Amino acid sequence: MTATTQHKQSSFAKRWKSLESREGRLAWGLVLPTALIVFGLIIFPAIFSIWISFHDVGLHNLNDVFHAPFVGFDNYSKVFQDFAFKFQGRQSWGAAVTSIVYSFLATILTLIVGLIASLLLNRPFRGRGIARSIFLFPYVAPIVSVAFVWRWILDPRPSGVLNDVLMRLGLIDLPVAFLATRGLALVIVIFFEAWRYFPFAMLMILARLQAIDNTLYEAADVDGASAWQKFRFVTIPELRYVLGALFLLRLMWTFNKFDDIFLLTGGGFGTKVLPVLTYEFSFRLLDFGRGAATAMILLVILVVFMAFYVGIVMRNVDAE
Amino acid sequence: MTDTRKQGTRSRGEQLSILDRTARWITLPRFIFAATLFFFLTSILFPFYWMISSSFKTRAEISGRAPVYIPSEWRLDAYQELFDPESPIGRFGTNIVNSVKVAIPTALIAVILSTLGAYAVARLKFRGKDVLLNSILMVYLFPGVLLIIPLFAMLAQIGAKVGFNVQDNLAVLVVTYLATTLPVALYMLANYFRTIPAEIEQAALIDGCSRLGVIWRITLPLAVPALVSVAIYTFMIAWNEFLYALVFLNSRELFTMPIKINTIYNEPQPIPHVVMAASTLMTLPVVFLFLALERFLTEGLSAGSVKG
Repeated sequence: MTATTQHKQSSFAKRWKSLESREGRLAWGLVLPTALIVFGLIIFPAIFSIWISFHDVGLHNLNDVFHAPFVGFDNYSKVFQDFAFKFQGRQSWGAAVTSIVYSFLATILTLIVGLIASLLLNRPFRGRGIARSIFLFPYVAPIVSVAFVWRWILDPRPSGVLNDVLMRLGLIDLPVAFLATRGLALVIVIFFEAWRYFPFAMLMILARLQAIDNTLYEAADVDGASAWQKFRFVTIPELRYVLGALFLLRLMWTFNKFDDIFLLTGGGFGTKVLPVLTYEFSFRLLDFGRGAATAMILLVILVVFMAFYVGIVMRNVDAE
Repeated sequence: MTDTRKQGTRSRGEQLSILDRTARWITLPRFIFAATLFFFLTSILFPFYWMISSSFKTRAEISGRAPVYIPSEWRLDAYQELFDPESPIGRFGTNIVNSVKVAIPTALIAVILSTLGAYAVARLKFRGKDVLLNSILMVYLFPGVLLIIPLFAMLAQIGAKVGFNVQDNLAVLVVTYLATTLPVALYMLANYFRTIPAEIEQAALIDGCSRLGVIWRITLPLAVPALVSVAIYTFMIAWNEFLYALVFLNSRELFTMPIKINTIYNEPQPIPHVVMAASTLMTLPVVFLFLALERFLTEGLSAGSVKG
């Protein structure tokens, strides 16, 4: 009696299991191509990059990488001692400090501009749909095109349009080389980032704004709150999570960004950030080991910051 | 005579009332709103106007003593130079074809592979799903410059063994673009598949349809908007990509548009009108594609699907 039920149960279990495993096999069959490409071309290279950063890899032994000599932390110490990397006072920040300052300021500015844009588009007005589409242009257009248009607008030659406008308005006397002046170039690059990436922030904030319960504003009206108070005490708290998530995402992407600065300034005039330095070590000096070490330093800074941010800042937001 | 005078006074009266009305309509918040909107629209649209209008200027206009705000004549000099078969900066047609050759296969393969993968992730239970999803998410973390060094070394090694060139090989470019776009495509599609009620699929399964039959007959037709937006995104990413193409391409014949534009910009003698003409040709298709399919796309944008 018990034996038969046991037998029944186990055969049922077997069938159940085989059904499940059949589903599992099908699932893996479906995911396999994606998984192979992602592991082969992202996860493995990322791990391989750690290996490269401890070896002497250049163009000469690129076809025989696995026999490259182990050099310990040599690549790292070379990076840390490089004048392009280390901080040397206010005149020359070095890539690490420049990267951090640039990413933070650009992210904050992007978020502020995105917030203003989303508040604009959150009110109904005629032509709002078209305005919304236009607001997305900077984000949709290819980076190469927009970077070169801005370079052309900021051109210091007499045919540069921004200089002409500013001179006609009497704000400057002589043409300014916006992207070739230390300090100013970094400011311009930060403004460019905000111009190009605010639409992403705008869309995410707009989605959240439209989900805010209107009764909150009605209650504030009853309490006699001013427009500013409604913004400060109703809108901002409601946007807290989306702003927190946006800050993290944008900071990460800005910190990793290569194209924008490379195309705008080539990394000159105090705008050399870590991704550009990585590129220069790897593909100008053809020292791949040193390039990989720079990229690892970049990644470590990023991961440490993210751990700090998620662990402390986000938890505090939760606790509030 | 009297008629005209009457008309004059009447219209003056109307003008006054319009002025009056607008004066009453404009309040401080409304003024701030309009001014901010105006500021946004001009700072967004002016660069695009400047790009297009500069592409129709002549060499004399572009290097004059003052900028030409409106070209006197819309000249095609820059475009002629861009497609000139003799000049090294010319033959832009080849570059357009190269970009298309890279972007369309990337988009098609990404849609097919990510559809299969996303279906499995959204609907099926399998061991290792969480590990897979988490490692796919890591893509967001790794900068392109970090991956390009090992990728270059790895593919050079494999290429030497199997017998293909890493550099100047558009297929290598497609494969690397797939690696960067597939994770995003998979997430987007999996999220979409979850919104399709599972009951419809279960009904078909009970009626004797196979899993693949269900995907083909039920899920895909319902997911067309998501498939379109994934295709457009991957197309745009491949179309716009700069760093990998810069590293992997050496010969002008194989340059995609972004790299070609970069070399034109870095010519010893600056020719901004040609750069702007090339940029216009590269930008317009993307912007039109976006405008035509915007309804599908903004949802994907706000889902954080585009890394950039």
